[in-house]
Amino acid sequence: MPAELPPLSDYLHLPWSLAKCTYCDFNSHRVPDAPDTARAVYVDALVQDIAQQAPGIAGRTVETVFLGGGTPSLFTPEEIGRVLTALDEAVSLAADAEITMEVNPGALERGSFAGYRAAGVNRVSIGGQSFDAAQLKRLGRLHDPAAIGRAVDAARQAGFERINVDIMYALPEQSVDAAVADVRAAVALDLTHVSHYQLTLEPNTVFHAQPPTLPGDDDVADMMQATDAVFAAAGLARYEVSALAAPGEACRHNLNYWGFGDYLGIGAGAHGKLSDGELVTRTVRPNHPRGYLDALAAGAAVVSQPVSGSRLAFEYMLNALRLVDGFSLQDFEARTGLPRAAVTGRLAEASERGLMLEREDHIWQPTALGARFLNDLQALFLD
Amino acid sequence: MNPPMQNIRNFSIIAHIDHGKSTLADRFIQLCGGLSEREMAEQVLDSMDIERERGITIKAQSVTLHYDADDGERYQLNLIDTPGHVDFSYEVSRSLSACEGALLVVDAAQGVEAQSVANCYTAIDQGLEVLPVLNKLDLPAADPDRVCQEIEEIIGIDATDASRVSAKTGEGVKDLLERIVRDIPPPKGGADEPLQALIIDSWFDNYVGVVSLVRIVNGTLRKGEKVRIMSTASAHIVDRLGCFTPKMLDQDALHTGEVGFVITGIKEIEGAPVGDTITHEQRQAPEPLAGFKQLQPKVFAGMFPISSDDYESFREALQKLRLNDAALHFEPETSAALGFGFRCGFLGMLHMEIVQERLEREYELELITTAPTVIYEILTTRGETEYVDNPANLPAVNLIDEFREPIISASILVPEAHVGAVIKLCIEKRGVQTRMQYLGGQVSIEYDLPLAEVVLDFFDRLKSVSRGFASFDYHFARYEAAKLVRLDLLINGDRVDALSVIVHRDRAQARGRELADRMRELIPRQMFDVAIQAAIGNQIISRTTVKALRKNVTAKCYGGDVSRKRKLLEKQKAGKRRMKQVGSVEIPQEAFLAVLKVDS
Repeated sequence: MPAELPPLSDYLHLPWSLAKCTYCDFNSHRVPDAPDTARAVYVDALVQDIAQQAPGIAGRTVETVFLGGGTPSLFTPEEIGRVLTALDEAVSLAADAEITMEVNPGALERGSFAGYRAAGVNRVSIGGQSFDAAQLKRLGRLHDPAAIGRAVDAARQAGFERINVDIMYALPEQSVDAAVADVRAAVALDLTHVSHYQLTLEPNTVFHAQPPTLPGDDDVADMMQATDAVFAAAGLARYEVSALAAPGEACRHNLNYWGFGDYLGIGAGAHGKLSDGELVTRTVRPNHPRGYLDALAAGAAVVSQPVSGSRLAFEYMLNALRLVDGFSLQDFEARTGLPRAAVTGRLAEASERGLMLEREDHIWQPTALGARFLNDLQALFLD
Repeated sequence: MNPPMQNIRNFSIIAHIDHGKSTLADRFIQLCGGLSEREMAEQVLDSMDIERERGITIKAQSVTLHYDADDGERYQLNLIDTPGHVDFSYEVSRSLSACEGALLVVDAAQGVEAQSVANCYTAIDQGLEVLPVLNKLDLPAADPDRVCQEIEEIIGIDATDASRVSAKTGEGVKDLLERIVRDIPPPKGGADEPLQALIIDSWFDNYVGVVSLVRIVNGTLRKGEKVRIMSTASAHIVDRLGCFTPKMLDQDALHTGEVGFVITGIKEIEGAPVGDTITHEQRQAPEPLAGFKQLQPKVFAGMFPISSDDYESFREALQKLRLNDAALHFEPETSAALGFGFRCGFLGMLHMEIVQERLEREYELELITTAPTVIYEILTTRGETEYVDNPANLPAVNLIDEFREPIISASILVPEAHVGAVIKLCIEKRGVQTRMQYLGGQVSIEYDLPLAEVVLDFFDRLKSVSRGFASFDYHFARYEAAKLVRLDLLINGDRVDALSVIVHRDRAQARGRELADRMRELIPRQMFDVAIQAAIGNQIISRTTVKALRKNVTAKCYGGDVSRKRKLLEKQKAGKRRMKQVGSVEIPQEAFLAVLKVDS
């Protein structure tokens, strides 16, 4: 059983957006009528949700917070501040907590970067996606390419030092050159963190219903290779499948996911994972804001499911294998409460196939091949 | 209850697939009140799911009906169903041996088909009264006069007063029943003679054990009697007997001339062999009845479970299928590529497809079937003759003196307009024409063809080149020397035994190239290059490569919800389970069958 509890993060979900992107399968909903009242009700609910969670995590400290959506900036800085304060009161927020908020380039609908910064946010993640106007349109984004740079500048002016920009590749009909051009435009903004991820067609999206023509496997491989070189030249190294950072600038919140840390999931549809020293439990809340509010009022917003045995080992691997630096078997045992024997056989098999290597004693990481064939590597740990 | 023998009529229906046999049978059952309207499911005689889906009959079935004729007499009509596909022609002769008459049902729009001709001759040979029936008179394209002429020209029986019916609307069916009563002779046989009951078919039922369909040729069989299966000399008590209505209806006795079922508590199908004779233990018949000739499979293929864990359940499934399918042969086979499986023998490709489908559907097995082959006759340099049903077992080239393949004589009936296309197909399949005759609008063509060319896709191709109008029947003729070679496929340098095929040397080059290309399309890209080579002996005749996949990673940036990613990986893994690991290469199921789908 886990002797020592892992670090704790908090994911806060703010489920509204102005327009649904064509690729997006996240839990987002149209802004309701009478938005002022609706927001107040929703923020009350988040505060209540946090209060209900408090007993289970008493004595622990939240190290990182991520405000995701939807479009979190549809909420005012005051509202965001209220939620963060509630969190601090209920479970205590670390003094150096990393608090990230997702924003879209273009107008901040309900506030300013300075306002959110004053409310406690200290890192922003900007949904840039592409610097190609036609691609942005196809993706259903409401901003133009120039808005990305303006957003970065505005965030900096407001005092934000830690800024991430999301960039997607393997976009419909995208050439390798175009993918490289997007990355060049991103690094030109002098960023310390970029999330660079491949477009996948997810169920329940416009793209899934009307699939666009995507680049071929070889082109996508070329994109990955060519863009990594551009990132490297700009001092950004890939530390995880889809994240690159300057030294020391990795996203602590994401690292906690990949390191199989704990996280509260607060808000509609938020997923959480908590260890209590004996059991690892996953939690889910109703996706639709209305259903979430009703369930919360009834005191039944959380559906918990314990994870154990081979499923637990697999889930650890699913996360940890994404990290370029891998993991230690000691950490595996501490986070899962399982003996290392639960995975050593498969690690040996992966090693034999050239997918994993034991960097130091009991510290394993994916090889370059393993990183490129991560799906196959992860699947090795399935039953 | 039991009618006098002169009021019994035993008959079969001979018809090509789709010519309306099942619909006509349904109509008979309805007119004779065999089933109430409510019970009347369409096409009750084709009871297996696969039979219904494919619209064909595989196993013999029977139904006993009571018909009140215009002469005021009540007749017992026993309709014994027959399969309509060339693969199952042996079943036809069995069914016919229980009958005194047969209805030759011909689609009045499509005309006579070769399969019906062959079955009709079997009926005539067995001394049956054949009544021609023109069906589907309701179709606008029906041309009964032309089809009557065809029946006379092609089969040579008088069709001037053939019954004209529409099984669909019911028109003419009552008159046909009158004809059956009038023209088909009643059974002969001695009621007082020692019991002789012919086993027409036996099948295994999970609840009662082996059920046998029998025709009482002489004597009377009663419930509770002690009987003897003549070939096995084993004694059994009759637990149940009766007739099909088509539901099982228990009776106390089956009398001379009647057809019905017998259950004796025999647990294995071998205990009640088809064609055997049942007699009384106490008063035995001096001689068994003439049985049926043993059936030899013509087409062989290896079947291997994708997961080696399924081997035992695969064996059990085959044993169960064999309970009801005496024509299915199997023996263990080991393949270097595919592991443990069975070499299975079938009557033809349809038979193979049906067995495979039943194994996958009813027994939930995932199987790889290798390319079917025929039995080759090899004369070795030592002067010995060997029979080889598996390319892997072929002697080394330098030990083969003569490589002989089975040749069949095929009879094809085709409308004049499609003769050219059919001849072209036969030439492509290395056929030699032996006879051609114009008969009305149809042409009868006879070809000697290598069986190996016929078993693969000949039947489908024939249907497609003739727009469905050509029909076909064949029988084994002889073994003949041919320039044959074994074409091997090498994957990353290793010969995959399950992908070897025997082909004619003149075609080997093209076939090898095509096969390698198909493999390149079917084998998914993997982490490394996969080299595919086609070879004859040590000579490589074609090579191609499946280039390595360079990456296989997709990851969203949000990490909270792992369930979707897990499901995605599980789905991918399930897909891989349908592939066979050969060396380090994953080969999908379809690749093993691709060998069949190569034309040339």
